[in-house]
Amino acid sequence: MVTELSFSQEVTNLMYASHGEPITHCLQCGTCSGTCPAAEFMDHTPRALIGMIRADLKDEVLASNTYWSCASCFYCNVRCPAGIDIAEMMYALKRYSMWKGQSREGLIGPDFSEAFVKMIVNSGRSFEPLLAATYLPKFSASDIIQEGLTATGLVLKGKMPLLPKKIKGLKNFQRMVRRIIPIGEPE
Amino acid sequence: MTERIGVYVCHCGTNIAGIVDVAGVSKWAGEALAGRGVVIARDYKFMCSSLGQELIQKDIKEQKLTRVVVAACSPHLHEPTFRNACKGAGLNPYLCELVSIREQDSWVHTDKVAATAKAKAIISGGVERVIHDEELEPLRVPIHPDTLVVGGGIAGIQAALEIADAGFHVYLVEREPSIGGHMAQFDKTFPTLDCSACILTPKMVQVGNHPNITLLTWSEVTKVDGFIGNFDVSIKKKARYIKEADCTGCGICWEKCPKKVVDEVFEAGLGKRKAIYVPFPQAVPKYPVIDDVNCTYYIKGTCKACEKFCPTNAIDFNQKDEEINVKVGNIILATGYDLFDATRIPQYGYKRLANVYTNLEFERLSNAAGPTGGNIVLRDGKTVPQAVGIVHCVGSRDQNYNPYCSSICCMQSLKFAHLVHERTGAEVYNFYIDMRTPSKGYEEFYQRLLEEGTHFVRGKVAEVTNVARVPAEEGKLIIQVEDTLIGKQRRIPVDMVILSAGLQARHDAKEVAKLFGIACSYDNWFIERHPKLDPVATMTEGIYIAGAAQGPKDIPASVVQGAAAAARVLGKIQQKEVSLEPIRATVNQDMCSGCRICNNLCPFNAILFHEDKMVSEVNPALCQGCGTCVAACPAGAISGTGFSNEQILSQIDGLLLLNIPHQPAPVAQ
Amino acid sequence: MKKYAYYPGCSLESLAKSYHLSAIAVANEFGLELNEIKDWNCCGSTAYFPVDELLAYTLVSRNLALAEKMGASDFVAPCSACYKNAYFTNTYLQSDQDLADHINYALEEDNLHVNGSLKVRHLIELFIEDVKLEEVAKKATHPLKGLRVAPYYGCQLVRPRKAKEDVENPRYFENLLAAIGAEPIEYANKTRCCGGSLIITNRRAALDMVQILLQDAVDHGAEVIATTCPMCDVNLEVYQEQVNREFGTHYSVPVMYFTQLMGLALGIDPAKLGVGKNELASLQAKAAAPQAETK
Repeated sequence: MVTELSFSQEVTNLMYASHGEPITHCLQCGTCSGTCPAAEFMDHTPRALIGMIRADLKDEVLASNTYWSCASCFYCNVRCPAGIDIAEMMYALKRYSMWKGQSREGLIGPDFSEAFVKMIVNSGRSFEPLLAATYLPKFSASDIIQEGLTATGLVLKGKMPLLPKKIKGLKNFQRMVRRIIPIGEPE
Repeated sequence: MTERIGVYVCHCGTNIAGIVDVAGVSKWAGEALAGRGVVIARDYKFMCSSLGQELIQKDIKEQKLTRVVVAACSPHLHEPTFRNACKGAGLNPYLCELVSIREQDSWVHTDKVAATAKAKAIISGGVERVIHDEELEPLRVPIHPDTLVVGGGIAGIQAALEIADAGFHVYLVEREPSIGGHMAQFDKTFPTLDCSACILTPKMVQVGNHPNITLLTWSEVTKVDGFIGNFDVSIKKKARYIKEADCTGCGICWEKCPKKVVDEVFEAGLGKRKAIYVPFPQAVPKYPVIDDVNCTYYIKGTCKACEKFCPTNAIDFNQKDEEINVKVGNIILATGYDLFDATRIPQYGYKRLANVYTNLEFERLSNAAGPTGGNIVLRDGKTVPQAVGIVHCVGSRDQNYNPYCSSICCMQSLKFAHLVHERTGAEVYNFYIDMRTPSKGYEEFYQRLLEEGTHFVRGKVAEVTNVARVPAEEGKLIIQVEDTLIGKQRRIPVDMVILSAGLQARHDAKEVAKLFGIACSYDNWFIERHPKLDPVATMTEGIYIAGAAQGPKDIPASVVQGAAAAARVLGKIQQKEVSLEPIRATVNQDMCSGCRICNNLCPFNAILFHEDKMVSEVNPALCQGCGTCVAACPAGAISGTGFSNEQILSQIDGLLLLNIPHQPAPVAQ
Repeated sequence: MKKYAYYPGCSLESLAKSYHLSAIAVANEFGLELNEIKDWNCCGSTAYFPVDELLAYTLVSRNLALAEKMGASDFVAPCSACYKNAYFTNTYLQSDQDLADHINYALEEDNLHVNGSLKVRHLIELFIEDVKLEEVAKKATHPLKGLRVAPYYGCQLVRPRKAKEDVENPRYFENLLAAIGAEPIEYANKTRCCGGSLIITNRRAALDMVQILLQDAVDHGAEVIATTCPMCDVNLEVYQEQVNREFGTHYSVPVMYFTQLMGLALGIDPAKLGVGKNELASLQAKAAAPQAETK
């Protein structure tokens, strides 16, 4: 008999490897949000987001910028009195959002992560200039100029890679990836 | 000779009958088990009721039953009920077995067919076992009328007074130089705001003067032997270096003593005492104590100012520890609690940032007899804080420290808020997760604090820091927290932070428990016999627990438990003798090789070793029949009355329906 | 010579080249052989986990498998993000057979198998646990003469908690800096996040976080900030200008990898450590001059 999973259960299911305390244990004490260095840039604090997940407010949660503003510094994890793996929960929400293609307009995170993974599947190593295409279009004009200046400075110091690298065992690598999820060109 | 066995299957309303076909099972027992000795099998709605019991009693007499098997709930609940019923009908109560087809069957299965088959197996097991049961008589031991109370805090004081007032003698042993416990350190008590010392000291004085109480302070119990009614206790009375018979408590010695020491115990490190001291002016007994670690005489051999000035020549530097041996019938442990060490939470800044205080430190600050004369000031001794933050749940409700709630901190934090309002006019912020104010007058106290204008911020404090981000935060302690009711992270600058640190079991609770033969829970609180229905008794007969040693609680609850433990003890003393369950282990000394594995395994310290004969022996009065030694003995030399090898093995045969022809194995498809 | 499987990570090839150079140079001085894993792939930092959890662990596991294949017992990463990913992937592989089976099924395609037999270490641990600080102090022939250094642990070196270690106030970095003659400064935010990848995905947030760190370090007299992770180093150093623009501040704090500072104390040629002439001069000036203006 198929039972509908609640949003809260779906999120917990996306936290497979870490076996973090399920978010049902949350006391709503607010330690995570009091600690989070990015909290003031989030529209909902981490604690509020957990409350919203438990109330099954799926669309509001996915539309929030909170989980895309998580720096995964894990400070919330080590202080949480209920031992909840909050940073992992933020990752779970990111994965949920990518899976459903549902997130707030104008955020850089989704495109950036997707481009990053695609880049790795194509070459096995990261190459910063390629990623710029994902976020520069979303920057303001002055920020683009700033970024350009920063990048130039790095190039002059010899710190910016100018050519992408590929790993040698790339074909096997790509077949390995396809055993997990079907991305990249088939043979 | 076959026994004549009666089988009684209970419906327990629908608890059992809803899943197990009780009528069918009863019929089956009467037929299939007839060959094993079952002469009658009945089922009934409520076997434990008086009508149910009368059924059994009638059958015992009319059917001349020699054994009874009742299939109903758990023996923990009704074994005594059915045994008494049998006893009433003239059958030895230990020839009655209660097998559980409720907790072990109907309550844990939903498959009715399988559950019914299981019930049959369980009953068959009971029948096979009861065949091997023997007539047993409970042990009767006399009760010594004296009592030992360990711990002179409010719970111990209450217990001691109740027993002493009833006319019986009490030894009250206290580790510190004076009785009073933590309550003596407090300033005011919630919710009445009574002065703590004012309500405590009259009781302390009563204890000190009571003809029936032998007060042994600056003393510790070192050894406990024996069993209920007959404990042999050794107490070490540490040397005070004062001759109590000569000391008048005049106080000249501590006035003249030149050596000052930080008082880590009573003043919580905030104030100083002398090397010769009483912990506080209202100490009972009034005799001081010399701290031989810090006293100049013991370090360098000089000074002796106290001896010079003592008008009655009561100082004796050569006094030795004394060992006192007493016999008591019952023991009450009221050893209290320790405070959670707030340095374990570095982000709260305790001991790193000067003006962060713990609750005990604040009590001393606020107490008129404390190191600042009751003035609430910062560590510099003079600045009055203009904003105070009070942090709830420090080290409590936290898997990283103590998972339980310490029960009193919310009320205590409200009390602090009130005292700060009263004495300083500062802005007060309380940071809480939930407001726990359950008892009489407590919620009204919270209302009072709301009226006084306390700022309540619902959020567990994330950190206390002195790193300012804006000018308004310069020179302040900043409390960073999420105000969960508005969903925003806030930084609130204050001058003083009070941490309501949680309560913990005493650091040596495990050792003390072992000394007395009781057990500790995972959090090291002493374990009660039943958390709901028997909170002051322990699994060891004759040992009772009272007060915070059993778990965090406020003063009224501690007083109640002290009185309850006293009532239990008085009840035992009145009976003059007590009967003990004969379910015990015995060592077959012919088979014992003297390996001593059992001695240390026994959780009740009930197994003695005879050096001369090189064999172990179980003390039947201490033995609780847990079976650990029976399992552990490599020679199989220990067997238990009531759980012998024959009884257990035959019960297994019965469960497997081995002795009954043509029965399918009781396994679900 | 103690041998380690060395996982440089993507940044050390370019952005953090000086970290790589100084790490190898300093390790050599102490007889630690850092053998680079052949054909390693990107560990994903914080970018894989938003997409697919199993893929993320698999991509990290390939590197662990390659290291195991080398016959190494220790896997060393200089970058905190690589370290954290490798450490926890390794830990989960050891305890979760189901996860290990899924991952090994994928690794088969590359003729690899991971056992979880490695010990995963961060580069800084090698100097503290394997070399021991007395040895470090002995070899520091050019101690840093009380240079005031802010030890910046960052977050992923310290968190998530691995055993019962102190995550609120670790002291080992201070001890290491003291061993090379520097004066480690005390400042509260030493494990507060630098923003990490938020510098791309939420720049305002990251710049705010960097500003708080710089201000705290400078308020407590830091002349240099020492880092243990390329991401932290880049955020604190490369984006200092942007922080100044955003907040109207005037920070100009040198930021260096701890291995560079160690190398200088060991008397290694600064060019071999990726320390530029300007940086060196500025360092020497700071060591000699009184405490610089803070705001």
